[in-house]
Amino acid sequence: MLRRIRRKSTKGVGIKKAERIYGFIFALPAIVFFAVFYFLPIIKTLQISFYRWDFLSPPAFEGLRNYVVLLKSSEFHNSLWKSFYYAFGTTIPIWFIALGLAVLFNRITSTSWLYLVVYYIPVVVPLIVACIVWQIMYHPSYGMLTLITRPLGFVDIPWLTSSRLAMPSIILLSIWKGTPFYMVIYLAGLVSIPREYTEAAQIDGANKYQVFRHITIPLLKPVILYVIVISIIAALQVFDPFYVMTKGGPGSATRVVTLFVNETAFQYLKVGTAAAASLVFFGLVLCLSLVILKFFRSSWE
Amino acid sequence: MKTVKKALARNILWHFSLLLGAIVIIFPIIYMFSASFMPLEEVFSTPVRLWPSRPRLLNYSEIFTKFSLHRYFLNSVVLTIFTLLCNIFFCSLVGYSLAKFKFPGRDILFTLILATMMIPSNVIVIPLYLLIRSLGWVNSFWGLSFPHVIAPFGVFLMRQFIRSIPDDYIDAARIDGCSEFKIFYRIIMPLSLPAIATLSVVTFVNIWNLFLWPLIVITSDAKKTLPIALNQFLSNYANDWNLLMAASVIATSPILLFFFVFNRGFIEGMTGLSGLKE
Repeated sequence: MLRRIRRKSTKGVGIKKAERIYGFIFALPAIVFFAVFYFLPIIKTLQISFYRWDFLSPPAFEGLRNYVVLLKSSEFHNSLWKSFYYAFGTTIPIWFIALGLAVLFNRITSTSWLYLVVYYIPVVVPLIVACIVWQIMYHPSYGMLTLITRPLGFVDIPWLTSSRLAMPSIILLSIWKGTPFYMVIYLAGLVSIPREYTEAAQIDGANKYQVFRHITIPLLKPVILYVIVISIIAALQVFDPFYVMTKGGPGSATRVVTLFVNETAFQYLKVGTAAAASLVFFGLVLCLSLVILKFFRSSWE
Repeated sequence: MKTVKKALARNILWHFSLLLGAIVIIFPIIYMFSASFMPLEEVFSTPVRLWPSRPRLLNYSEIFTKFSLHRYFLNSVVLTIFTLLCNIFFCSLVGYSLAKFKFPGRDILFTLILATMMIPSNVIVIPLYLLIRSLGWVNSFWGLSFPHVIAPFGVFLMRQFIRSIPDDYIDAARIDGCSEFKIFYRIIMPLSLPAIATLSVVTFVNIWNLFLWPLIVITSDAKKTLPIALNQFLSNYANDWNLLMAASVIATSPILLFFFVFNRGFIEGMTGLSGLKE
């Protein structure tokens, strides 16, 4: 109230109009940028998805044919399945490992911060570098992992070249790369829980597990929900390791949707089909996030 | 006495398990460093060698002479710096506008910008390529950098931070006759330095790692950025592991260096959490 009076008395009505104009001018770069680089492209993708087009010859309108083709395409079904296999295969272990590590850290002191910095290194290493290093570690005869597998009696494991192991191998790399990030988010949640709560429960005779199960976890629910949704959405958009390490192979064992869309558009030049596939997948991801949010909201409240 | 001993034992166990975890986690990185100093025959030895018998520094000169890594490195540096400066300027400007000005459609604009964070790059990459192509920007620096000069996350971050700056600063400057743009760069920008630091970290990591977009836009070898060049290197020289590792070390070192100096800013910036460590 006071502020409003002061404003009126100093500048009067003029400021209001000037404010509107300057606010708009300052926001103008964003209006243009997001319209040109985000919203128009989305509309354009939708438009392209109704055409048959190869980037060069004139586009031919086909109605919903691209969507029908996708509905029947076993390649697309396979890529959907691979994407979700990868996403859940990566994120479910991450949820638990990250939470376990965060509990192990338990608090942020100067010593534990030092550990935290080391644990966080995989996150800052460029993804392409991680792919190269892991690809070399996965080499059946000279890779670093033979140090572990050979004494166990496994010789020449075809990590990336067998259709059964390729996906789990990329999943392992992704768990390594992603876990510390989510660990920090859990840790921030844990640190923000007041000590009094857990101490009070302990005084009342609760053991460690009971405190964790009935005090910590319920208080951590918003953080857990956040981690679950964010990690799944992020995992469904991963592209680089598949492109760099396996190119979707062997066969189609690791051809996730992102790779499928990229290849369909830029390799097979079926632009319309690729656009339709990306939109269908986007829709599925949105639905999945809503379902997860709804499911956890209703079961937790 | 007994409880002291117990606490000590628990402390040692705590350190031991964290240390063990740390070794497992950074093992691939250590291997990357050690293999980058090995001669080729040591990389391909059975059982696998963990350490070079005699460090071979020649690997590091060979990646520049044989593979001209410096060119790609420079491309990445230029791209990162340019994009970073644009992001700092535009995200602050737009964030300031959304935080401190009232104009019709402001809240809708903010909501729309937030919504763009949900859009996967996969969905917009084809039309984006068409746009760049129609502008004649394929295989150019502008085509590469332009779609990244403003990040929705950056606008959100700056807007949230600038909201916490008291209006009195702005009002006082206005009374003193300061122009609106001068208020922005003389008052708002300096006061937003903590948020700008966070923004810089996130942008740096994102742009340095950019893969899909340069893969599509860049067609000539001379303009490739580091990640694309590394991928090329992996397919062309798949057996020169020691050189591959040396190139990987070079690609990692700028980020790793900054990370060790500003580790707190990195972790807080990337996870979007502040005040992690007191």
